[in-house]
Amino acid sequence: MTAAATVPGIGWPRRFGKALPVSLWAFLLLTPAFVSLASVSFYPIINGLYLSLTNTSLITQENEFSGFSNYVQLWGDAQFWNAWWHTMWFTTASTILETVIGLGMALILCEAFKGRGLVRAAMLVPWAMPTVVTSKMFGWLFDGQNGIINYILLHAGLIDQNVNWYGSPDTAMTTIIIADVWKTTPFMALLLLTGLQTVPNSLIEAARMDGAKGWITFWYIRLPLLMPTLLIAGLFRALDAFRVFDLVYVLTGGGPADSTETLSTLSYKVLFSTLQFGYGSAVSTAMFVTEGIIALVFCLYLIRQIRRAQ
Amino acid sequence: MTDIKKGPVSGSKPAAHVTIADRRQFLIGSAGLLGAAALGLSTGLGVRRARAQSRAEISFASAAFFGKETFGDLIKAFNESQDRVLVKNIELPPPSSSTEVYQSLVQQLARRTGTPDVFSQDVIWIAGFAAAGWALPLDEYFPADKRSAYFSGTLNACTYDGKLTALPWFMDSGMFYYRKDVLEKHGGKVPENWADMATIAAAAQKAGDVDFGYLWQGKQAEVLVCDAVEIITSNNGAILAPDGKSSLINQKAAVDAIQFLHDTINGTKISPQDVLSWDEEPSRQPFTSGKAMFMRNWSYVYPIAQDAKASQIVDKVGVAPLPSFPGGKSSACLGGYQLGVNANSKQREAAIELLTWLSSTETQHRIALNFGLAPTRPALFQDEKIKAEQPFMASLEKVFTGATARPITPEYAKVTLALQSGISKALVSGNVQAEMDALAAQIDQIVG
Repeated sequence: MTAAATVPGIGWPRRFGKALPVSLWAFLLLTPAFVSLASVSFYPIINGLYLSLTNTSLITQENEFSGFSNYVQLWGDAQFWNAWWHTMWFTTASTILETVIGLGMALILCEAFKGRGLVRAAMLVPWAMPTVVTSKMFGWLFDGQNGIINYILLHAGLIDQNVNWYGSPDTAMTTIIIADVWKTTPFMALLLLTGLQTVPNSLIEAARMDGAKGWITFWYIRLPLLMPTLLIAGLFRALDAFRVFDLVYVLTGGGPADSTETLSTLSYKVLFSTLQFGYGSAVSTAMFVTEGIIALVFCLYLIRQIRRAQ
Repeated sequence: MTDIKKGPVSGSKPAAHVTIADRRQFLIGSAGLLGAAALGLSTGLGVRRARAQSRAEISFASAAFFGKETFGDLIKAFNESQDRVLVKNIELPPPSSSTEVYQSLVQQLARRTGTPDVFSQDVIWIAGFAAAGWALPLDEYFPADKRSAYFSGTLNACTYDGKLTALPWFMDSGMFYYRKDVLEKHGGKVPENWADMATIAAAAQKAGDVDFGYLWQGKQAEVLVCDAVEIITSNNGAILAPDGKSSLINQKAAVDAIQFLHDTINGTKISPQDVLSWDEEPSRQPFTSGKAMFMRNWSYVYPIAQDAKASQIVDKVGVAPLPSFPGGKSSACLGGYQLGVNANSKQREAAIELLTWLSSTETQHRIALNFGLAPTRPALFQDEKIKAEQPFMASLEKVFTGATARPITPEYAKVTLALQSGISKALVSGNVQAEMDALAAQIDQIVG
């Protein structure tokens, strides 16, 4: 097969190579990939940006260019800022918790112990579960009447009457964050575990020979070497957490009193319930911009870390 | 498509259905093939030829409901009942995915191509479709004398800007469930006003007969708007002014009504904190497991409450119109799907013929028996067969008489989001007047 294919094959690129400059040839080969990527990735983004500058609405049948009026409206929209702050809070809280707990889990799983393979596999179960299933499950765990969390807390004497976790603005968001932490920490642990395994064992052994205790080894050897992985994992998680939709949609629908409304649920409501495609696209674009800023901050920090390491 | 797909329990004679359908398919398909040869034969059977060649072809789109048959079967029955119109059934997602049904209808109607010619719509979309000019005004086809056969609340919801733009089809509404056995111990009389309801509920709760006095739905969702419409209207209040251009939700009647809902949790304590995160199903569960005395919910609860496998309260459940405030009238939030004709339909006469047939006494009768969906014609509630087969439905006439539409405005989708958020805030914080003022300002901006 190879022999038969290469013999005539040798002549072909050369002959074409003479007819076409090398760079053009490369572009030609890249075109299919570029076109398919552009049609599914760039076009929707550009179209979304354009829609956000129009007053398109399926209901009123308007579809005209309206400049930045959607953004002016957005700037003064209390609903939007309410959702923005909730999303930021959710992102920050869940990313930090998941990173810290995930790091702890990764450190444990890095050690050799009996049944480690099984534990590593079992750990991934929460992450592999569909979010809607997780949501329903946490709905029941934290149920105000029959939830096991209330039952345990009540019998441990920590609360004196059932708490309605999803019905009070003070607890609804926290409960959603807990559900997200449960679900996604294994993912962080897995990413950090691969990072930990790249830390050369010889360094740790050398430190031990010098008499360094566990904590010192971690703080001065493992953590600095893990930093790039930690930042990239954190970036992944933050960008993902920022788009939180299913947990909120299933558990509270944004309530009570808008206390769990996030940008994803808000843009869903604006886009698909009220069919204001123009304004809804402006909300989505604002989301996109915020995500861009988050990514930028992480990247700048990452670059600084790498430079310092060099 | 639906011709092939069958409902869970399709008609009693599936074989017969298939044969008839196949024969027609064959007739249509072979009309061209057989051509001249067939002509001699079909001239002999003049009617047959007319059937195959000159029928007006229209389409019908509806959310998919299931029962002993499907809407596909219904359309098939219409096609077989006459030889002037041939209807193609377009099946949309089930009513539980109502956002998707809405989107799909909007997209099709906005193209203004005339497809679908006839469609069914949730009551809250009627004004929007009418204002966009997608729904054909039906006044000339259904004059006043024909309309009087329907519930007035439903007709009201089908009317936009003085024009009838939808025809009533089938309905549901909020209703008051009570526990007969517990009520017997506490006076035995179904409360007709909210204060009595609260007193009885509190007494039953105190006596330990039930855990909860009254269950309703306070989740920030569409159902909260329904609960609010009922209680506000029962105090002679309203969410929108009659002209639909301003909000009345910060007037005393509405504020007092919302305050009453807030008090059921924090004052009289007849409702648990949990109602703030409950929609229909979470509030139904404690009731059917015997933990609650009164509940506001839709008609779907009754069959569950009477099912010994799912319920602890079989034969102990009663249904009545919701209570009202002194000087007000009981009100029930209207739900259900109504019929509309596409204003761009190229086959208007045929569309009207289908519409008339679907909403006729006979078809509503069939829908009531085979789908369990309640008719919009009060007369049908006296029907012996419905009384025998759907005794619960037959008892709902009184409840449906008070059916009240949610705010009728083309901007309903925006108004409902504002209402859900504003009312939820008022219920959580207890600053009812302040939150209602803010909400009224927001609604004024949307509809003004």
